Amino acid sequence: MKPDRNKFSIEEPLSLSLDRSRDDFQPLSSTSERKMHGRPRKAYKPEEEAASASKAAKLRSLQTQFMSIHHHKIYTKEAIDLSRKLLEINPEAYTAWNYRKLAVEDTLSREESNQDLVKSILDEELKVVESALRQNFKSYGAWHHRKWVLSKGHSSVGNELRLLDKFQSLDSRNFHAWNYRRFAVELTNRSKQDELKYTEDMISKDFSNYSAWHNRSVLLSSLLARKAEGFTPNEKIPEEYKLVHDAIFTDEDDQSGWFYHLWLLDQTVNVETPLLTSSWPSHGSCINLSGGDGCLNDSSSSKLTTFCSDLGSFPLILYFDQPVSGVSSSTVAVDSELRGNEDLVWEPVSNKNSRVSCVWVARLNYMSSEPCFPKEYKVKVRIGNSPGIVSSRGCNFSTPYEFVFTAHVHDTVREDSQEVIVSWTDGFDIWDAQSKDLNFLVNLDQQMGLKWRQEAIEEEIELFRALSDSKIGKLTLARLLMAKAMISENGVKGVHYEEILELYSDLMVLDSSHYRYYKDEHSVALLHKVTSSTESLSRYLFQYRDINNSICLRLNNLSLSRIASVEKLLFVQMLDLSHNELHSTEGLEAMQLISCLNLSHNRIRSFSALDSLRHLKQLRVLDVSHNNIGEHSVDTTRYLCSSPLSNSEWTEDEVGRQMTSLVTKYWDAYFVLRDLDLKQLDIAGNVIAGDEFSSFVPQVVPKLVWLDGQKLRS
Amino acid sequence: MEELPSITVSQREQFLVENDVFGMYSYFDTSDIATQKFMVEIQRDKQLDYLMNGLRQLGPSFSSLDANRPWVCYWIIHSIALLGESVDDDLENNAIDFLGRCQGSDGGYGGGPGQLPHLATSYAAVNTLVTLGGEKAFSSINREQMACFLRRMKDTNGGFRMHNMGEIDVRACYTAISIASILNIVDDELTRGLGDYILSCQTYEGGIGGEPGSEAHGGYTYCGLATMILINEVDRLNLDSLMNWVVHRQGVELGFQGRTNKLVDGCYTFWQAAPCVLLQRFFSSQDIAPHGSSSHMSQGTDEDHEEHGHDEDDPEDSDEDDSDEDSDENSGNGHQVHHTSTYIDRRIQPVFDSLGLQRYVLLCSQVADGGFRDKLRKPRDFYHTCYCLSGLSVAQHAWSKDEDTPPLTRDILGGYANHLEPVHLLHNVVMDRYNEAIEFFHREA
Repeated sequence: MKPDRNKFSIEEPLSLSLDRSRDDFQPLSSTSERKMHGRPRKAYKPEEEAASASKAAKLRSLQTQFMSIHHHKIYTKEAIDLSRKLLEINPEAYTAWNYRKLAVEDTLSREESNQDLVKSILDEELKVVESALRQNFKSYGAWHHRKWVLSKGHSSVGNELRLLDKFQSLDSRNFHAWNYRRFAVELTNRSKQDELKYTEDMISKDFSNYSAWHNRSVLLSSLLARKAEGFTPNEKIPEEYKLVHDAIFTDEDDQSGWFYHLWLLDQTVNVETPLLTSSWPSHGSCINLSGGDGCLNDSSSSKLTTFCSDLGSFPLILYFDQPVSGVSSSTVAVDSELRGNEDLVWEPVSNKNSRVSCVWVARLNYMSSEPCFPKEYKVKVRIGNSPGIVSSRGCNFSTPYEFVFTAHVHDTVREDSQEVIVSWTDGFDIWDAQSKDLNFLVNLDQQMGLKWRQEAIEEEIELFRALSDSKIGKLTLARLLMAKAMISENGVKGVHYEEILELYSDLMVLDSSHYRYYKDEHSVALLHKVTSSTESLSRYLFQYRDINNSICLRLNNLSLSRIASVEKLLFVQMLDLSHNELHSTEGLEAMQLISCLNLSHNRIRSFSALDSLRHLKQLRVLDVSHNNIGEHSVDTTRYLCSSPLSNSEWTEDEVGRQMTSLVTKYWDAYFVLRDLDLKQLDIAGNVIAGDEFSSFVPQVVPKLVWLDGQKLRS
Repeated sequence: MEELPSITVSQREQFLVENDVFGMYSYFDTSDIATQKFMVEIQRDKQLDYLMNGLRQLGPSFSSLDANRPWVCYWIIHSIALLGESVDDDLENNAIDFLGRCQGSDGGYGGGPGQLPHLATSYAAVNTLVTLGGEKAFSSINREQMACFLRRMKDTNGGFRMHNMGEIDVRACYTAISIASILNIVDDELTRGLGDYILSCQTYEGGIGGEPGSEAHGGYTYCGLATMILINEVDRLNLDSLMNWVVHRQGVELGFQGRTNKLVDGCYTFWQAAPCVLLQRFFSSQDIAPHGSSSHMSQGTDEDHEEHGHDEDDPEDSDEDDSDEDSDENSGNGHQVHHTSTYIDRRIQPVFDSLGLQRYVLLCSQVADGGFRDKLRKPRDFYHTCYCLSGLSVAQHAWSKDEDTPPLTRDILGGYANHLEPVHLLHNVVMDRYNEAIEFFHREA
């Protein structure tokens, strides 16, 4: 049989393996396949075929010999040479790379003191890698071997950069080379400024080279983070904007500049050091505390500040601008005369079991066993006096901050069951509160209004108004305007929410394939607008007659697909989000005071999407009727590698043991509901609802009084 | 024209590719119906010849010159399965025997007999054996040893190494978890810290890079997303920016590119379309569809009608276009199939232009003589054949709510004659074969 010319031909011209346009994702690398099948199909001359056959035979014999020396752990010079020959023909032979590592280790263990020998051995390794890379520039094994040699403290950065220059000028997008470059620079402590200059050269040669832009963002992040000389954000970021404008305005359709611009905007808006965004209670506020469910019959103006809990404690909420860890009784000092709060336990509010979160909560007791007289207490909270609060990026909360509030404790009669059903449909009155009642709610300490940020964004906005005909131009303008809103000193002034909303509405029409993305951004902008001022917010506040004129925030019918701005809504106890387009309750976990929540007529598809509600310890009334719960468009049992029940935590509790089959069927409902202390639940109008589910719920939620409008027990 | 700044090398290359592609589309559009029909048809016989030939030439001894023989087995055998065919008993036995010889005594499969076990070739071997199906193939995998091998490859940083002393990256993570999931050997030790590692590879672009610090890349994005779904931590990723990134990798040529500002390549039909479909199945179907068409739906469900209306202006349906139509105007030719108008009846609206993608693969990647390729003027190979066909299957089923729902004729460019078997999106093996394997390996446990 004639050898197949497409299969075993070995040699590969350098030009082919350095084909720069090729960027596929082959498991080992592209050229091995190319060697076998990738040859342009043209007629072969007989002598070529013969040559190819003889090479195949040669490689086959090399391979056999190599396997033998490898398995017998022979590390003689001849044996090592043999592996070199194999790798030069086939850089993908990762077994041979490993063999060489073992061989080097073997020699080093015996000849460690012989510096010259060590050097010559490692030099040899570098040479082998280099010739392998000539054969195949995308060989994972070869690049990795070189990293290994370098990790031994060998070679100089000069050598490595010379090699990289050679390869990178042939293929400026090769990600192996870029990865290796970052590795070598890190290892040899080459100056990042020099590297930055290199990316600048690459960009000026070809501004479409996104790999160079990307590396620039990696380098600048690191330089800015360690405050290298000349690298303060207020100097550097505006310069970078100028650089990227050249690319964007030269060719609007080129993607590279846009992505870099997005990164820059991120750097402009976000501050490295974590800040406290808001708290509940807020600074200077005065709250009324009482026990039981029945609240005080008090004048309406204090409604917002009255908190009742059958738990006899209230949450102290800290909201940071980015996820932080290390909030504890040693980093946050709480001075108060309230008894029994000597050692507060701070818990992060996050859906995963991580110790990092934007939101931290500690519960302060105000009901003691002794008879409690109405009394006024001052509470002082000091944050960050001692170090320990650290952002997930490793920055310390560096500016100590302190706030004070007053707590009035009232004595009231406890009521144990909820006799009133919350209907949500009527009983709401416009709340004619004075805006002074609200002032403290949105009066947040914004500490980040640094001038250069505002100026930089202002300049960008001017520039991009001119480009707002294109989709990407509109999107960038919308993002810039939002950024401006986020860093403005006082919410409303000069912020054009209407313009942002209009841009996103336009984009939903213009670019329907990204509808959902724009929709979410639209929701975020809308909620920013709603919470931007007391005037605006008060339009959404109502009094609910049926429960002592409690104040309800009604954000219904706003077409919201996502929740945002919760940091300004920490005071809310009753929230109506019905008739929106929400898929999940993510974000609500911060609103620790919520006791009544209406999510009816949304697009929630499973109980897992309600997971964040498990953090709401005050939640008693929940309406999730008319959603899509139970309608799995993804069969989770198929996609999970093992059943979520295999962690077997449920078998350890009573309900789990008694109702194994129902728990298995409704596992996602079970995991959420058993952590909620509900008295009223509405679930009708979902796929999951039905007699079986209705019989399941009360067993998981024993305190439930109302289910879908029916009283369960008297 | 002199005023224009000189274009960059990438722009020139992009221009040349667009020229080729639009030339092909224009040729197609001006051809007669019979020619058009032929052009978009999957040349099944030629494709099978090409694949079977490749497979036969691997044997009879399955010579092991290369470090990725199991991959070649997988590319070919999976492609054959996608076409709804099987290999004969001899070839099947040869393949099982050969892969058996690649299996190391300490678990895992190497690139050939005697070679070190390697995660990528282990993945290829397992997927091949799953695709071949049957007791003999399944039981040839040493599950216990494989579990040991996977644990040895686990690094303290949460990720996996490709092989002993090898590199750590997102591919390694995906192949390890995919294997463990199919063989039903996932445990805490394998998943510990893995989500953190994958998370550290998602870039500000939205996609996922190969290792921390790298730029986002289509192949790694697929691997990272699939891994996160398999270990049930997908919610930790920034899915909005991921969706945004991946959808925008479909360019004017209608095929996908692998990275920001790179050329289109047929293999990304799978690497990028599969994440699109995975993401859209995780999001509620109603929200992905363009809002304009809601009033025309014939199968629209319940609450849709009442939800729409406020806050949204109501664009005419015909306005619903994609960037490809703009470019048509620019380049003065273009495909006249206004496929968007057929979306009235809605199941899941794909987040990408599925028919456009199929058009690219069939007109630009298919080689009439058998095989698929990266793009016009490139040679065919088994790798591209595998991922073009896999991607075509994904595109054909992009409207379906799950793999078991058959597509409608209009979902498939070229009609039902082109229908390919549905694949399991997380493992890229044909669904039926996956089901058989899962049943076997769960019985084994």
